[in-house]
Amino acid sequence: MLKMHNIRKSYRTDTIETHALRDFNLEVKEGEFVSVTGPSGSGKTTFLNIAGMLETASGGQYLLDGEDVSGLNDRDRSRLRNEKIGFIFQGFNLIPDLNLFDNIDVPLRYRGFNAKERRRRIEKVLEQVGLSARAKHLPAQLSGGQQQRVAIARALAGEPRFLLADEPTGNLDSLMARQVMELLEFINEWGTTIVMVTHDPDLARRAHRNIQIVDGQVSDLQHAVAAAEAATA
Amino acid sequence: MFGYYVSLAIRSLRGTPVLSALMVAAIAVGVGASMTVLTLNYMMSQNPLAHKDNVLYAVQLDSWDPNEAYQRSNNEIPYQLTYRDAMALLRSDIPTRQAAMHRYGFTVSSDDFELRPFSAEARITTRQFFALFDVPFVYGGTWDADADRSPVQQVVLSKATNEKLFGGENSVGRSIDLNGEPFTVVGVLDHWNPSPKIYDLNNGPFNEAEEIYIPFGLHRKFEIYSWGNTNGWASGDSGEGYEGHLQSESVWIQYWVELQDEEQLENYRDFLTGYIREQKQQGRFQRPLKFALTNPSEWLVLNEVLSDDNRVLGWLSLSFLLVCVVNAVALMLAKFLRKAPEAGVRRALGASRHAVFVQHLIESGCIGVFGGLCGILLALVGLGTIRQLSFGYIDQVATMDWLMMLAAVGMAILASLLAGIYPAWRVSRTNPSLYLKTQ
Repeated sequence: MLKMHNIRKSYRTDTIETHALRDFNLEVKEGEFVSVTGPSGSGKTTFLNIAGMLETASGGQYLLDGEDVSGLNDRDRSRLRNEKIGFIFQGFNLIPDLNLFDNIDVPLRYRGFNAKERRRRIEKVLEQVGLSARAKHLPAQLSGGQQQRVAIARALAGEPRFLLADEPTGNLDSLMARQVMELLEFINEWGTTIVMVTHDPDLARRAHRNIQIVDGQVSDLQHAVAAAEAATA
Repeated sequence: MFGYYVSLAIRSLRGTPVLSALMVAAIAVGVGASMTVLTLNYMMSQNPLAHKDNVLYAVQLDSWDPNEAYQRSNNEIPYQLTYRDAMALLRSDIPTRQAAMHRYGFTVSSDDFELRPFSAEARITTRQFFALFDVPFVYGGTWDADADRSPVQQVVLSKATNEKLFGGENSVGRSIDLNGEPFTVVGVLDHWNPSPKIYDLNNGPFNEAEEIYIPFGLHRKFEIYSWGNTNGWASGDSGEGYEGHLQSESVWIQYWVELQDEEQLENYRDFLTGYIREQKQQGRFQRPLKFALTNPSEWLVLNEVLSDDNRVLGWLSLSFLLVCVVNAVALMLAKFLRKAPEAGVRRALGASRHAVFVQHLIESGCIGVFGGLCGILLALVGLGTIRQLSFGYIDQVATMDWLMMLAAVGMAILASLLAGIYPAWRVSRTNPSLYLKTQ
């Protein structure tokens, strides 16, 4: 599903070059739920931006669904992002002056669906997240948990195969966080591959696999534990 | 997507009413000011006889001072003819139509005792004037052929004059008094008001068309002098009194001919050449042989109806529009960059840079539409002020037609699109990841 090989990302100013990712290797299989943890500044968000094609890597190879996206132009990357990837952000990132219906409509507009198909999809995902009755509400009229559910609905409306979540529960209380996590697990059970960046170890443990990013490199904890256990045995 | 972008643009404009109003105002003021000037220039440069450019010609003969060329026209030939030359040219049967004319005025009265006598602008001309300039009649027609040479007291009224004197009825055959003399109405014109008044540009190109028209053959009977420009170079050259005036070298008659094809044009040139040579033998036309036949479009240019000052003013107004556009750029940049986080979200959801660019450019275009509409209102106010300040002199040109209104909106859209290109480009190039984490 997602394969990164020797990915590098560096930011250069006049005097300093910062390496956000280096020799970054990762493979995520279809249907997996992968959590990503790591200290602040380790490169988690950079990884997520490159995975979501919001940024380009300075070097290395990135295959999404078997297609090398490293050399694609902006238009093709945007089209792939729209068709295959859904984003969920810590800050929800709903457009404040659009109601829920219109917020969810945004990715569908760029996909080029007709009005009937857009309406069908929007009503379906709003029902899935339990907010059908609030379709005409503005984001500011909802609680944080409800806003995140709208963001999830927006991410799901295009029926992406790959969901990228950046601290999706970071701005929520524990009850709402649990509800959102359950929703993500439900979505994953239906076949959507999820990569979730989180600081919460409890949430990280609920994923199929947890990888840790340290100093811009991957440390696959479960593989490491398995290797350690094998050595002990 | 166009409709979607327009709805987003209107929503965005409503979301920031003050900033939006400032942007619309910047465009509107620029468009309003430039359209005020450009409308004047456009209306002044109209050619109401463009459809006769291939057949209609103003006649100029260089009968001027042997010692000094005529300085007031660019081709150094007087715009008008002497009376005696006009009468001589009228004898030619080469032109399909021809007309000699000048400006005059009368005090008009009628049998209606309730109507107070009033002064009216008049044109003294020959009978083919009306056909030559496509003047429409609502009743009757032009006067008899012999009225061009003998004193026949007939008159053609404008529609407005007929309305004033006879309530708009068919007045053909009825009588009115001009300067106390009885004249019989032979024709009533339909509405006709060419602007510029191309047949007599040196007597107020934007004046209203005349209210009454009388035959050329009345000069001697009523000792009619021109109320328009009269230029001369030889004083006391032709004797005393009115006859002396008619035979003088003073130029005060406008002369137009209709020549249908190149052959007719060539024949008429030969005729004019022959006439000037003949006059030279009689001691007149002592300058090098020179005459001009000028079609309406070239006549407008030769008479500088649209002056260099007008053109400079046009460029200045466009410069002012440019300043307004620069202001709009700054305002749009502020507005669009404030919306960069939303653009970041849209990019994450699948919008390409191009899509974000087009979305913001369409928002600029919407600002242009509103700016254009407000600009039209400002231009109308500007033109109204000019009409008041000009005391009616340029009433006809200080008006905006539909074409200029469409041009105003088009100019506003173009200006705002130009103003929006850089801000839209900037917002489309911003890195979305910068805003997605921090929003």
